Amino acid sequence: MDVLHYLFYGFGVALQPINLLLCFIGVFIGTLVGVLPGIGPPGAMALLIPVTYGISPVGAIIMLAGIFYGAMYGGSTTSILVNIPGEPASVVTCIDGHQMALQGRAGPALGISAFGSFIAGTLGVVGLMLICDPLAEIAVKFGPTEYFSLMCLGMTILVYLTQGSILRGLMMAGTGLFLSLLGQDIVTGKPRFTFGMSGLLDGVGLIPMVMGLYGITDILLNLEKVVQRTIAQIKTQQILPTKEDWRRSIWPIGRGTLIGFFLGILPGGGTILSTFASYAIEKKLSKHPERFGRGAIEGVAGPESANNAASSGSFIPLFALGIPPNVIIALLLGALMIHGIKPGPLLFSEHPEIFWGTVASMYIGNAMLLALNLPLIGMWVQILKIPYKTLFPLILLFCLIGVYCTSGNVFDIYVMVIFGGLGYILVKLGYEPAPLVMAFVLGPMLERNLRQALIMSGGGMGVFLSRPISAASLLIALFMVVSATIPSLQRRRKQVITEE
Amino acid sequence: MVTKESGRREGFFWVGIGVIICVLAWKVDLGSFREPGSGFVAFIAGLFLSALGLVMVLSRIYSKVSIGAGPGSGQPFREAPVSLLLFTVGVLLGYGLFLETLGYNVTTFLLMWALFYLFYEKGKGRLGLSFLVSLATTGVTYLIFEVWLRSQLPRGIFPWW
Repeated sequence: MDVLHYLFYGFGVALQPINLLLCFIGVFIGTLVGVLPGIGPPGAMALLIPVTYGISPVGAIIMLAGIFYGAMYGGSTTSILVNIPGEPASVVTCIDGHQMALQGRAGPALGISAFGSFIAGTLGVVGLMLICDPLAEIAVKFGPTEYFSLMCLGMTILVYLTQGSILRGLMMAGTGLFLSLLGQDIVTGKPRFTFGMSGLLDGVGLIPMVMGLYGITDILLNLEKVVQRTIAQIKTQQILPTKEDWRRSIWPIGRGTLIGFFLGILPGGGTILSTFASYAIEKKLSKHPERFGRGAIEGVAGPESANNAASSGSFIPLFALGIPPNVIIALLLGALMIHGIKPGPLLFSEHPEIFWGTVASMYIGNAMLLALNLPLIGMWVQILKIPYKTLFPLILLFCLIGVYCTSGNVFDIYVMVIFGGLGYILVKLGYEPAPLVMAFVLGPMLERNLRQALIMSGGGMGVFLSRPISAASLLIALFMVVSATIPSLQRRRKQVITEE
Repeated sequence: MVTKESGRREGFFWVGIGVIICVLAWKVDLGSFREPGSGFVAFIAGLFLSALGLVMVLSRIYSKVSIGAGPGSGQPFREAPVSLLLFTVGVLLGYGLFLETLGYNVTTFLLMWALFYLFYEKGKGRLGLSFLVSLATTGVTYLIFEVWLRSQLPRGIFPWW
C-alpha cells in the first residue's frame, strides 16, 4: 500500500506542467543524442547541468534522467538504419537490425526496438521502485567503513568490466582519485595541490572534465575517420511488427528485461554489457542460431530491451546507497549535489519527491519516447542526414558555452580542452576514461569515509575486516584483481567482454 | 604488439607519476593512521600508482601474456591527423584566451568561421558560405544563451553587444 501511496505522490510531482515539460525536453534531447553519433549521454548531460541551476532539483533530475534512458531508445535508430551505433549500448543492434533494414524490414526492426524498450523500461522502473526502498532501509545501518569498502568494490567491478586492461583501468582510477583531491581539504579547508593556481582552489570541475574527456575527445577521435553513411529506406506506414514478429520477440524482450535490470545494478558498463549478454543468450537458446547476424528480430528485441532495463536498474545504487554505478549516474549524483541534495538511504525520508517524482516521470517518459520514436521516425531520419562535419563545430561550440556558463571562468575552458587532448591520447594508448571519472566523483566521499573510519577506530586498519559487509566487499574486490592476473582467467575475461 | 621496451617505458612513467604524487602528499601533511592529514589519501593514491607501474614493468619483463594488447597496441598515432588535431585544440584554447577580451560575439564568430572552414569547406573555395553560417550560428546561440536563458556571456571590448 505504501508503495502505491508514494507512487501516486510521485505522479503528483511528475505531472506538474513544468516537470512534464522538463521530462519531454530530457527524452527529446536523449533521443537526439542517441540518434547522432559523436556526442554521447555523458557529454550531453554535462552540457545541460548548467541549464538546471535555475530549476528545482526534482525537475533537474527528471530532465537529466530522461536524457539517459532517451539515448537508449534513440541509439537503435542509427544502428538499424545506418549501421553505426548512436551510442555504445546500441552496438549489438547493428548486427541484426541493419540486416533487417537491408531486407526492407527497417520498420519492424525500429518498431520492435521501440516497443521492447518501452516494455523493458517500464518493467525496469517497477523493479527500481520495489527494490530501492528496502535496500535503503538496510543501508541506513552502514557506517563509513562499509561505504569505503563498497566504493572500493564498485570501482573494482567497473575496472574489471571495462574492455581494456585491468592494470590500465586501475591506473586511471588512481589518477582520478588524485585529481579529486586537488583544491581544498574536505576536513580542514586548507588548499592542497593547487600549484599556485587560483583556478584550482575549488578543485578540477566535474563538468569541464567530463565534457573534455567525452565531448572533445570524441570529436578529436572522429577527425581521423571518414564516415560514409548509407541510410536504409523506410516507409513510416510499415513500422508495426507483425504477429509473427511479436511471437518471436516476446520472450527475448522478457529475458532481456531481466538480464538488463540486474546487470544494470552492477557498477561498470551495465547498459553495454547487458546487450551483449542478451544477444549471446538469445543466440544460444534459439533453435536456428544461424539466423543471427542475418536479420533475426530476436537479436534486436533482446538487446534493445536489455539496455533500457539496465538504465532503470542503474538508478538503484544511486538512490539506495548514494554510490553511482557508472559515469552517467555519477553525473546525476554531481547534479544532485550541486542542488544541495545528497542521494543515499536518507533520500527517501528527507526528499521523497526526488525519488518518487523521478520514478513516476520515468513511466511518463517511456510513454513519451514511444510516441517520439514511432510516429516521428521520419524526423530522426532527416536529422541523420546532417553531415558530421557540420555538427562537430556546433558540438564544440556548445561544449565551450556550457563550460563557460557553469562557472563564468575561462579557466574551466582550458581545463576542458586539456582533458579533451589528454582523453584523445589516453584512448589511443588503450586507457579508458570511465574509471578516471568514477574515481574522481567518488574520491571526496572515499576520502571522507576512510578518514572517518580511521579516526573512529583509533587508527586500526583491522576495522575494515572486522565488519562483515566491509570485509566481504574488500575480499571480493581483491579476488577480482588477483583473478585478472591469472593468465587463463585473464583470457576468459577478455573473451567474455569482447567476444561479440 | 606492444614491445617490451615501450611497455617498460609506460610502466616507469607511472612509477614516476606515483612517486611525484607521494612527494607532493608528503609535503602537504600526511598525518597518521590515528589522525589522517590532508595528504594521506593522496599518498595512498601515489603508492598505488607506483605499485601498478612496477607491476607493469615486471609483467612486461617476465610474462608472456601481453597486458597492453588491445586498443593501445601497435602504433596508435600512425594515422592521426596531427596538424588538424593541433589546429582544433589550438583554436579552442584561443577561444578561452580571447573570450573575455573580444567578447562572446566576436570570438564565437571567429571560432565558428575557423572550424566550419577547417572541417567542412576546406578545399571547396566556399569561404563565403562558412562566413554566413558562422554569423548565423553566433546570432542564434547569442539569442538562446544570452537573451532566453540569461547566461552572462562576456561583452569584451564591444559593450553594446
